[in-house]
Amino acid sequence: MTFLWRTALKDFHRQRRQPVEFVLWLGIPLVIGALVVASTGGRGGPKPQAHLLVVDQDDSTLSNLLLGGLSQEAAGSFIRAEVVQLEAGRKRVERGEATALLVIPAGFSDAVLREEPCTLRLVTNPAQRILPGIVEETLAIFADAAFYLHRVLGDDLRALAGGPAPGLDTFPNAQIISTSVHINELVGRVNSYVDPLVIQLETTTDEEEKEKAAGPPKSFALYFLPGLLYMSLLFMAQGVSEDLWRERSQMTLRRLVVSPRSVTEFLGGKAIYGTALMGATGFVSLTIAFLYFHLAPSALPLATLWVMFSGAVLLLAMMVIQLHVRTQRAGNIVSMGLIFPLMMIGGSFFPFEAMPEWMAKIGRHTPNGWSVQQLENILNGTVRPAALGNAIALLAGVGVVLFLVCARRLRRGFAQG
Amino acid sequence: MIEVLGLRKQYGSITAVEDVTFDAEPGAIFGLLGPNGAGKTTAISCVSGLLRPDAGRVRVFGHDVVTDGRASREKLGVVPQELALYEELSARENLSYWGAAYGLRGGTLKKRVQEVLEIIELHDRAREPVKRFSGGMKRRLNFGCALVHTPQALLLDEPTVGVDPQSRVRLLDLVRDQARQGTCVLYTTHYMEEAEGLCDRLAIIDHGRIIAMGTLTELRAKVGERDLLRLSGRFEPGPVREALGRLDGVEIVQVEADSVTLAMREAARKLPSTLQALTAAGAELYETTVTQPNLESLFIKLTGKELRE
Repeated sequence: MTFLWRTALKDFHRQRRQPVEFVLWLGIPLVIGALVVASTGGRGGPKPQAHLLVVDQDDSTLSNLLLGGLSQEAAGSFIRAEVVQLEAGRKRVERGEATALLVIPAGFSDAVLREEPCTLRLVTNPAQRILPGIVEETLAIFADAAFYLHRVLGDDLRALAGGPAPGLDTFPNAQIISTSVHINELVGRVNSYVDPLVIQLETTTDEEEKEKAAGPPKSFALYFLPGLLYMSLLFMAQGVSEDLWRERSQMTLRRLVVSPRSVTEFLGGKAIYGTALMGATGFVSLTIAFLYFHLAPSALPLATLWVMFSGAVLLLAMMVIQLHVRTQRAGNIVSMGLIFPLMMIGGSFFPFEAMPEWMAKIGRHTPNGWSVQQLENILNGTVRPAALGNAIALLAGVGVVLFLVCARRLRRGFAQG
Repeated sequence: MIEVLGLRKQYGSITAVEDVTFDAEPGAIFGLLGPNGAGKTTAISCVSGLLRPDAGRVRVFGHDVVTDGRASREKLGVVPQELALYEELSARENLSYWGAAYGLRGGTLKKRVQEVLEIIELHDRAREPVKRFSGGMKRRLNFGCALVHTPQALLLDEPTVGVDPQSRVRLLDLVRDQARQGTCVLYTTHYMEEAEGLCDRLAIIDHGRIIAMGTLTELRAKVGERDLLRLSGRFEPGPVREALGRLDGVEIVQVEADSVTLAMREAARKLPSTLQALTAAGAELYETTVTQPNLESLFIKLTGKELRE
């Protein structure tokens, strides 16, 4: 085994016996990630739905229609209606178990058909802010619908509301036919307005087109994944690079300098260890993410390699900082002072999609932000081979330059202390 | 062997070592004795290749440390003043790593690590992390890391600083063993007793310059068979010099306002007449110390101050 690999192995064994640091590097982003997943309902998760308790004191056809309308189609996706008794409903709303309590009073049906004033009582849960609003809006739509129905079918409705003529149990056939014909003619007249058009005009933006091409919308938590992973890598890069100071303070760096071995081999060993650590972290995290979010497995190797190489360059950049400051404390302050703004703007705390455009534009040009973006492209399957090739070439070039700068500084001054 | 010729090293405007010349032979221990800040560590750092000399030449078994650094470093084993160990790793892992740094591999490395563990008497604790070791054990391991590649020359920079007496004795025995086996040993210390008990040849260094060099016998001869009498108190330098000058067989080494140092044969016998002369010269005496001839007295004679000052 060459000294290069032995140095990498030595650092691995040292790290293995000091696991707390490693746990923190992974733990902080994991905790943040878990909170994000929890707060966004994880992989799609259940949509927020208002739970509406309904007390039907009218028990008429119309009140049943209203109840059915609340549970179907668009309204049904936002509102789950449940018929309850008045007292039980009140208690449940007070206990915060429902969004609102709707009381349909007796005589509701007659009042609506005669177009007379009628009050629906809605008791909302004060602990909730958005869902009661949804219920109120939905009921307002129903009230508007009743108003317009009266405008077009008012006479018929009033006739129906009056009930059969005295002495009759039911409406006469002639009246039923007349009402039916009237409704039929009305539907025929408005048909051209309510039926779908033969020529359909559809307008979309470029962004919408891209979203369509990208397939079904991805989970909100998935937006955070690349950024959180790079948060972890930045912590690791900082920690591993700071180890140069530990090597110096415990004099092992001096012992190395007086040995026949070159500092380049030593530095290479450290870089290999850091890269392997990041690669392993990337592989495990990405594998879990691929399984959890059902991503295309073919992208996993490329994503892991990208994480590993971009992580190595971040590590070398951190080493350059550590090797060019005067004290370990200064190194810590400078590197942390850089890492946190980079994480904030580089998509680790907030995904680019959630940032103002100007900020996202800057963030995408930071080293970690740029890497996050490439990783996103790999995960989405939208990465272009030529662009990826250029990115890898750029990484390799920057990596070589940073490594040479580190080796030069380590040889000339840093190791001697 | 280690040859140092006209070595000079400066840090900015401060000259740490100036015109230092000595050589250390295989199978012998050469000591650099001097107070803290005398330039011992700088000199040994130039020999080890840690620092680049500004002038002069250093050769290790014929290899120049500047122009043929790698070859010279291969011959050297360095025991730094501070512990240079990985505390999270075991003794075996530390030795293996530093053995590998000197090119040892596979079975050879494994065998040599085991030998060194036995030499430094840590074979039964070989798998424990170093952080659990006592100070003395760490010192022995620090020494062992320099031995693992069987160096031809061993540089030890004050290896017993802060070590308990028992561990110090053990370490010094290890150093003697290495010299007996033919290793060329260069040893720096500010402990006079250590230098007297250990070194075959010595150079006394102060303010970056070698002020005396030779075997212990040669150096003692420079002091002569005279005792050193040191007096502290309040003195008028003029009258004191005059009064002491009238005494037979008393050499004035140094006279200052608060101390007087004299060299004389049989100091105990001459003490009453000396004290009488000083009192007559108006001196106020607080303390009197008689030192028999040794390196300390030589150092005092050469520099006018104690080694520990």
